[in-house]
Amino acid sequence: MNLIVGVSDMKVSNDKEAILVTYSLGSCIGVAIYDSVARVGGLLHYMLPESSLDQEKAGKNPYMFADTGIPSLFKAAYKLGAKKQRMKVIVVGGSQVLDQKGFFNIGKRNDIAVRKMFHKNNVIIDYRDVGGTVNRTIKLAVNNGDIWLKVSGIGEKKI
Amino acid sequence: MSNLKSIIKKIDRLKPISQVATKVMSIAEDPESSMSDLSKVIIYDTAVTANLLKVANSAYFGLPEKVDSVHQGIVLMGMDQVANLVLLSTSGENLQTAQQGYDLEAGDLWKYSVSSALIARELAEKKGVKETHLIFTAALLKDIGKVVLNQYVKDSFDKINTLVTKRNFTFREAEKEVIGIDHAELGGMVAESWNFSPKMVEIIRHHHRPQESSISEFESSIVYMADTICMMMGIGVGSDGLAYRFHRKVVESLELTERDFEKIIAGFAEKVKQLEAMMNI
Repeated sequence: MNLIVGVSDMKVSNDKEAILVTYSLGSCIGVAIYDSVARVGGLLHYMLPESSLDQEKAGKNPYMFADTGIPSLFKAAYKLGAKKQRMKVIVVGGSQVLDQKGFFNIGKRNDIAVRKMFHKNNVIIDYRDVGGTVNRTIKLAVNNGDIWLKVSGIGEKKI
Repeated sequence: MSNLKSIIKKIDRLKPISQVATKVMSIAEDPESSMSDLSKVIIYDTAVTANLLKVANSAYFGLPEKVDSVHQGIVLMGMDQVANLVLLSTSGENLQTAQQGYDLEAGDLWKYSVSSALIARELAEKKGVKETHLIFTAALLKDIGKVVLNQYVKDSFDKINTLVTKRNFTFREAEKEVIGIDHAELGGMVAESWNFSPKMVEIIRHHHRPQESSISEFESSIVYMADTICMMMGIGVGSDGLAYRFHRKVVESLELTERDFEKIIAGFAEKVKQLEAMMNI
């Protein structure tokens, strides 16, 4: 059963039947986490790096921003019995328009935001596919932690 | 050349734009037109009227009261927005279909088109534009060329993708190089064949290169920016991904800050669910 994680959305699950999926990441970033002992998976799809843009929106929906969404993702997984030291972490998305360089480069800033946060909290990223101009979709099977990454036009592969 | 001719001939296979939509467009672009001109054109088409009222009453627009008639809709939302919504509720047929060449499922291109139009309108309003119809409609229909080009992109995808990944072509430039014509140029031709105004034709044709537009640089820039924002949000993005060029000068010419754009993204994200509900009407 597919559990769809929308834009600015997050889901965690310990349901063995569940497959967490988020489509069409663009410059947004998808963070997938999995604890193979507790068999708990989580997936976040955030759009923007910093909640300081709009605290009220971040209060209503923390999953919109990296700095509020990532802690919420981990906390929700802990509630289901996941442990930080067992967590496999996958980060994908953060594409950029060609020649974008620094200005209005949300893809790049989204990437910096997640790397900073993980560095500060001693979280190691196990697999990372970030940047370029492609559109990505990611799926996570809660049963065994299998992950599939689809790049539009190219196809899907298991990672 | 024969390939090009056969592609252009495929424009005729599109479902033609409805008469009501054509009339509404000319009324909306005519500064002399009145509320009753607009309402007369709409009310005689019951299907369009019914659709318009459904869209107007959707949670996305969050109107303070329920709209029961075209006249009331015009009073509440204004002529400009009612014209926009007529276009929105009559343009779906071609754009709702799947486009395999672009790796877009049924509904994807439509969601992209409607989102672009709504964001373009918001940008236009931020820039103080009162009559947003031209910008809204151009943003809504800008990718109509993809529907015509889809099969050709599918057949030549590997060649196109090689130019994009290995030689720094944009997807549009690669379409042009491999097929001989790109979706924006073709979209301009569709707009011409539907007798759209020269400005509308030009915005659609230049939505990836607004700085090259001679008569509608400002409007094209707004549509370009709305398109870029949608791509970044991953709305309607397919096999072409974000492989289009960022024109910093165009963005700067609109005198909007990064923060302005991010606020638009955050605001739109909040309403995506309502948008999806509206599109299922």
